[in-house]
Amino acid sequence: MAFDLENFLKSLQEAINYLPVTIKLTVVTFVFSLIIGSVIAIIRNYNIPLLSEFFAFFVTVYNGLPLMVALVIYNLLYMNYYSRIASFFHISKAISDISPIYVGYFALIMSSSCIYSETIRGALKSIDKLQYEAGYSIGLNKFQTLRRIIIPQLIPVALPGLTNNLVGTIKGSNLVSAIGILEVMGGAITPCAISYSYLEGYLAAAVVYWGFSAALEFLIKRGEHYGTRYRRSLA
Amino acid sequence: MNEYFDSERFIEDIPKILPQLSVTFSIVGISIFLGTILGIIVAVLRIKNIPILHQILGIYISFMRGTPLLVQMMIAFYGIPLLIWNLFQININDWSPVVFVDIAFILNEGAFLGEIFRSSILAVDSIQTEAGYSIGMTKTQTFLRIVLPQSIRMILPSYGVDIIGVFQNTSLVFTVGGVLDIMGRAKTIGTATGHTLEAYLVVAFTFVIISLILRFVFYLINEKIRYESKIKVDKRKKHIENL
Repeated sequence: MAFDLENFLKSLQEAINYLPVTIKLTVVTFVFSLIIGSVIAIIRNYNIPLLSEFFAFFVTVYNGLPLMVALVIYNLLYMNYYSRIASFFHISKAISDISPIYVGYFALIMSSSCIYSETIRGALKSIDKLQYEAGYSIGLNKFQTLRRIIIPQLIPVALPGLTNNLVGTIKGSNLVSAIGILEVMGGAITPCAISYSYLEGYLAAAVVYWGFSAALEFLIKRGEHYGTRYRRSLA
Repeated sequence: MNEYFDSERFIEDIPKILPQLSVTFSIVGISIFLGTILGIIVAVLRIKNIPILHQILGIYISFMRGTPLLVQMMIAFYGIPLLIWNLFQININDWSPVVFVDIAFILNEGAFLGEIFRSSILAVDSIQTEAGYSIGMTKTQTFLRIVLPQSIRMILPSYGVDIIGVFQNTSLVFTVGGVLDIMGRAKTIGTATGHTLEAYLVVAFTFVIISLILRFVFYLINEKIRYESKIKVDKRKKHIENL
């Protein structure tokens, strides 16, 4: 029983090979969740009847569901109902030809959308009502006010929260290994099955995740200067 | 082909799974209790800004925030026995895997709670500390009697969110072999009977309901401790009535 550097390097190599999968999972989830989350947040902010109540209920309940549980249930449903739905739509592809990564995307996007919508709604709440009124008073319509006045002020407020959420998405993306998708963690422990060097494998995965999220946080910190450029000129 | 989802099986699974909540709650309880102590220590040490220790704690927090909990749990599970063996020549491989899960959760919580505590302690105005000194209190007295009580009020909202997060994170512990929480129990029911969906749905409902209850409890606590905003509203009401 000892730490074996050779196995560690082998795992590290595998983990880096699978980094693109994790990046793809993170980026796709982030983009879609940001769009869906913003729509939910705006609907709830403007109190659109029925939709606003529905999303308030849905987000509250869905936030209580751990990603892992959701992922396992979606995967079971997908495995069982895919053939029926496919035959209904006359899709001739067999389930074995389709990567389970779409189930992973679905689960990740569902949970991230709910979390992001809360962050964006919090930022929207911090913007004074006067700003909307100022927009309307000079004859902008609702959409123009949102796009030209509210969103530019929203970005610097929401950015720290969204950075945390993005790191959370990176860390959450490793759960898809539970439904058989190989990403950084799954890749790092593949060589361990032969040598039983799981400690080295997981350490290698940790190093890659750590580097990735630290690099992202650094980049976003640099970006924050850009996002707050209107703010600083006022101060 | 028989029905995939069967409500009878769903009801049968409930009494099989719910007793395992005790494992889940023991992990949450231990990691919150010891994690809070560790968090306070981390926060105080970071605020004190002791040269080398400050950097070490910075790396510790960055690691805990930057890597997935699942990976941390596995490193604890495989790494701690190895470390103990190499240091003390004691074999702890036969210990229950729950112990290593607990350790991973405590270390993880220590980092997250440490950051929450640090920002809340720093948010208390330095005038308060000076006020403590001016009436002759020592540093410890000022911290314990003046600063800490005020920062607790700021900590509580994020503390509640954090506890719910820990509760939801326990859904990962079944991946460490041999830990039978509600998720692990659902998996064994699936292996034994071949019907997995109902068991996992029971788990999903359990998580959602308990998370909602916890959220509601913390909402009530937060409402209770918002003294100053209540006073303001009352004053404003009285002012309007007087007009």
